[in-house]
Amino acid sequence: MSWIKRLLGRRRLYTDLSQEIREHLSEKIEDLVAGGMSREEATHAARREFGNAALIEERGREVWQWLSMESFIADIRYALRMLRKNPAFTVVAILTLALGIGANTAIFSVVNAVLLRPLPYQDSDRLVVVLHYGVAPVSPGNFLDWQRQNHVFTAMGAAEYWTPNLTGIDEPERVWALHISSDILPLLGVQPLLGRMFLKEEEQKGRDHEVILSYGAWQKRFGGSAGVIGRPMTLDGERYVVVGVMPRDFKFAPFWATKAELWAPLALGDRAADRGGNSLRIFARLKPGITLDQARSEMSGINSRLEKEYPGTSRDYVVLPLKERVVGDIRPALLVLLGAVCFVLLIACANVAHMMLARSAVRQREVAVRTALGAGRGRIIRQLLTESLLLTLAGAGAGLLLALWGIHVLVALSPAGIPRVQTVSIDANVLVFMFVVSVLTGLGFGLVPALRSSAVSLNDSLKEGGRGSIEGARGQRLRGLLMASEFAMAVILLVGAGLMIRSFIALQSIDPGFDPDHVLTLVVSVTGSQSADATSKAAFYGQVLEQVRALPGVQSAGVINHLPLAGDLWDRTFAIEGRAAPRPGEAPDAIYRVVWPGYFHAMNIPILRGRDIARSDGMNSPGVVVVNDALARQFWPGQDAIGKRFALTGSLPNAPWLTVVGITKDVIEKDWAHPPDPEMYLPYLQLSEADQAFLHYLTLVVRTAGEPTSVLPEIRSQILRLNQDATISQVDTMPAVIREATAQPRFYLLLLGAFAAIALTLAAVGIYGVMSYSVSRRTHEIGIRMALGAKAPDVLKLVTRQGMLLALWGAMAGIVFALALARGMSSLLYGVHSDDPLTILGVVLVLAIVGLAATYIPARRATKVDPMVALRYE
Amino acid sequence: MKKPDRRDLFPGALEMMILRTLRRQPMHGYALVQHIKRTSDDLLQIDEGSLYPALQRLLKEELVEAEWGISSTNRRVRTYRLTPAGIKHLNQEVSNFERMLEGVTRVLARGEA
Repeated sequence: MSWIKRLLGRRRLYTDLSQEIREHLSEKIEDLVAGGMSREEATHAARREFGNAALIEERGREVWQWLSMESFIADIRYALRMLRKNPAFTVVAILTLALGIGANTAIFSVVNAVLLRPLPYQDSDRLVVVLHYGVAPVSPGNFLDWQRQNHVFTAMGAAEYWTPNLTGIDEPERVWALHISSDILPLLGVQPLLGRMFLKEEEQKGRDHEVILSYGAWQKRFGGSAGVIGRPMTLDGERYVVVGVMPRDFKFAPFWATKAELWAPLALGDRAADRGGNSLRIFARLKPGITLDQARSEMSGINSRLEKEYPGTSRDYVVLPLKERVVGDIRPALLVLLGAVCFVLLIACANVAHMMLARSAVRQREVAVRTALGAGRGRIIRQLLTESLLLTLAGAGAGLLLALWGIHVLVALSPAGIPRVQTVSIDANVLVFMFVVSVLTGLGFGLVPALRSSAVSLNDSLKEGGRGSIEGARGQRLRGLLMASEFAMAVILLVGAGLMIRSFIALQSIDPGFDPDHVLTLVVSVTGSQSADATSKAAFYGQVLEQVRALPGVQSAGVINHLPLAGDLWDRTFAIEGRAAPRPGEAPDAIYRVVWPGYFHAMNIPILRGRDIARSDGMNSPGVVVVNDALARQFWPGQDAIGKRFALTGSLPNAPWLTVVGITKDVIEKDWAHPPDPEMYLPYLQLSEADQAFLHYLTLVVRTAGEPTSVLPEIRSQILRLNQDATISQVDTMPAVIREATAQPRFYLLLLGAFAAIALTLAAVGIYGVMSYSVSRRTHEIGIRMALGAKAPDVLKLVTRQGMLLALWGAMAGIVFALALARGMSSLLYGVHSDDPLTILGVVLVLAIVGLAATYIPARRATKVDPMVALRYE
Repeated sequence: MKKPDRRDLFPGALEMMILRTLRRQPMHGYALVQHIKRTSDDLLQIDEGSLYPALQRLLKEELVEAEWGISSTNRRVRTYRLTPAGIKHLNQEVSNFERMLEGVTRVLARGEA
């Protein structure tokens, strides 16, 4: 293997070559001397005729090398030596880069996991959802018609939320589950780990008592036993049989009911013709070759026909790519964060570029010497770029550690509602991203300094005491430009963070309409015989309320079907007495709440007019309803709603009239910043038996004197004493519910704020660095000025003005960009416009202070210049 | 001002001349370059040094081999000699070159006519 021999014998080859060249020169000199030249002349002549010996020797060596690989290694060795010689520079540069690259990597890994990675289903980009207005569920009647009539989907399936009580275990529990069509699992393209999927015929009532478990449920409830297939489970008091287990990474559904741990067949039974009860989310797979647009036009054709056939049904169903439904809401926020970390990295680059520039002035002579020895400009640039790339690589390594830690923190802090955040990790995509970012970074901060230092005038630099020719007007300008752009980028980030702060303050000052402090909430449901019988179910809740109110430490208690903010949101249509029947699809509707007397008191919701629901509003007394202010204003504008009557529509014919007896203050319903919608509160005891049966659980609201959770054990034991099959779930406190509701904006605020703080710090350090450097270069000039009579304040003004002028230019450019970019984050803002002048003013003020501080210290130092020392310095 | 690169007349020309010279007799670098300069009547401007990278290339391709020795003038010199592969390569190169030269000459002659 001759190349191994060559590799080993290379040192020998090189010494041979250099000896040979030396011998050549000496022989030539001898010849010329023999020809009558003086030795000195002969030496010059020999060298002239030989050419650049060092360069020729290198060319000779290169013949043996693997192309440029070895000179690259030599570059690296040299670069390492240089970096080791300047540890302070190296450490600061690496840390700065690590911060920029690490933050980018961490945020990108979130973007990657949440936005970029395909959903964990086969060919997931062919999956779509069909939802009312793109968000709300669909009725069984519509679903079955679509399934029968469409020609664009290979399969279409429905899923319905289900929270059965799991009993027959130590402590009864409400579990998250879904009823799914037998088509759902096949259309997702997934296979069970154990057992089988559902069969078509299991969509029949009576054959539907089967469940497929998630991997987690299998582990938790059956200890991962292989013999789980065929084992029974008691759900809502009925016997189900386990027929399958899904793989560990299987999750369904991806955007709502994400906690589902088991699935049962969807048997629509006599609901098949129902066009009013919207409870199904529809999933479908596009046929090969069918585009989303084709599917949409087909569906809208079917819906127009259905609308004619069944007056009153809506046609506003939207076909959305499943992925869009899953990540669409979160995308703007993540892109804003990604943009923010990009700016952090750019500032980091600017800082390091400046450090390199400052250093290149010092290294000028070294570069000149290398040029004189025959290194071409390209060679010098390559060498300098190798140094920047090495720095970046080290920065990237440290950044990776930072990113690992950052991802850990991000995932731990992330609020509910960011899909797939648990899967955030550093994978190949992230590593490639990081590598590309690092190389771009290295080129970004390395190229300009390298180009500048390599363009050295040999004569000037080699002259003893030659003052850096590099420090001309161009060097000054470049430095100024760097500093101004750092300021501009800091402004952009600060404006972003400032807007988030203002928006957050606005969010915090929203009045929820109730008093959340000291309120404990828990969902209570009954199973077994008591749940079937309306009277005993009502009696149970009545007793629970009574006993809880009697507990020490409890001030008041109430019951509602769905808790504001945390709970479900049901909608009912109604007909107002004395008004013409509305056109199809335009019936008035409102959020449907069912309460027990005492709810408003327990939540501290003010009754604006009229009265609260009373104990006397029972089965045998006339129907009453309390409405919120929004409902009263919308349907009886300018009139008093009290005493007006309406009846629920859509369920029973001839529903009784309900008289409005009270109007409450508007309460936050579902989304924190959403303006209030019309809302009605019906007394539970006046509901029809069918409507009562439909409420599988109720939420208990308890106002306590002290720490809310302290009364929980008492409440729990009281409830279980009344009915040992009752389940208690979703124990929470109202303050926690509110924190949860504002968790996303808080999270974004936290991150943007952190990035802005990092950016500000980096920018301040950068400006300080530029100013210190500029002062040290101007020592001579300042000395002359002082010798000519300039006083300390004059010098202070001179230096500060220069810095502040740059800062001003930067800030102005930054504001222009910030105004343009902030529009992209409008969807994240509440109660503040993206061009909020107060925010911009605040940002400018903060930057002015930071800029002043960063320039003041070097300026102070400038005033301490001793003219004599400064003048003698040269 | 950087001098124009005169390492090669055209790619391979210097190598060809080296091989041709070494075929007459083995020589060391200095003698080699003096010989080429003298025989070409100084028509060819060659940096003396440019010989060495070319020699390294030939060594690497094993067309020549080198050995340290003592010259007649009592100097330590590294003498190069042609290998059999070198001879074969030279013949090939020369015939290639002659064919090329002939082609070029014909075109030039036609242009004149």
